[in-house]
Amino acid sequence: MSLEQPEPLLNNDHELVARTQGGDPGAFDELIVKYSPRLYGLVYHMTSNHEDTNDLLQDIFSKAYRSIRNFRGNSSIYTWFHSIAVNMTINFLKKRNRRQHHSLNDPDSNIENDPDFIAATSNGDPTKEVSVHELQKKLNAAMSRLSHDHRIVVTMFDIQGMPHAEIAKILKVSEGTVRSRLFYAHRQLQNSLHEFKRN
Amino acid sequence: MKKNPHMSLRPTRRVIRLKRYEQPPDGYYEDFLKEFHKRQRAEPLNTSIRGLMKERLADKFSEFRVPAMAFAVAAVVAVLASIAIIRETPRQDNPRAYSVSYTPGTPTYQTPVTIQNVQPVSLRLDPAPQNFPQTSSLVFPATGLLPTAEPIR
Repeated sequence: MSLEQPEPLLNNDHELVARTQGGDPGAFDELIVKYSPRLYGLVYHMTSNHEDTNDLLQDIFSKAYRSIRNFRGNSSIYTWFHSIAVNMTINFLKKRNRRQHHSLNDPDSNIENDPDFIAATSNGDPTKEVSVHELQKKLNAAMSRLSHDHRIVVTMFDIQGMPHAEIAKILKVSEGTVRSRLFYAHRQLQNSLHEFKRN
Repeated sequence: MKKNPHMSLRPTRRVIRLKRYEQPPDGYYEDFLKEFHKRQRAEPLNTSIRGLMKERLADKFSEFRVPAMAFAVAAVVAVLASIAIIRETPRQDNPRAYSVSYTPGTPTYQTPVTIQNVQPVSLRLDPAPQNFPQTSSLVFPATGLLPTAEPIR
């Protein structure tokens, strides 16, 4: 499975949205196929639980399908889906509160060839090598310590590679707010992950 | 030269980026679509009308995006309007005091009105004027059916 997610083709989206609004459920299926990997990543990195992510993602697409008649096209469908996903995930996390239970997906085996992984886990000293699962556990623990607002920007910017402007649109905040949240989140993560720091 | 604080955060960001390798099992997205169809078919049976109405209302209201400043302006206008209304209200420095004296020997017409002396309007039959046609039952069909009541004094 490729980790590189394709850039959304917005022109095609207009057509798919129009067809869905016209009563063609097949067009909405195409939107699901196109956006579910991105939305899955967003929800999964917020909840750190595969089963919760699956249920939430089903609810997100159900809600989007019911509301798509109200979609006026003021933003792209990509932004609109993400806004629904962010709101529903944050509401879910508020309800779940401290009763969190991690159910993590196994990292893709390609991680072991990633130069960042090699550098982070051995830190130049092969005798101090950290296993993939150990690293995964530590990364998730560090992410869980972040507030919801900080975790969402880290997920979208660092993990999903979204630009500041897009994140600002989805969260309905200024780009400055996004940058500021990212800065504080990175500082907090740095404290949690100091053992992986390298020069 | 001063060190850029963002530069020192780069290694942390690189480590965090490794989380993108956490992927759902193969075939997950194909099954996801099938599950979506299954849930869509079952949904009308499970969703209450109240829940649907609530969600639709929430959707409608979410479309009205009022800028934050609009709320501040509305609040200021409300405060100014309240102040204006308070200032415009005429002052009554010496409110009139009404007092009614009543003694048991007072004649009936001076007795304060009590519920026993009041007749419902629907039953009140005032004497008809001199030139009023008494036989016109089309105008007051019920007039002849009710006993003549004493006029209220």
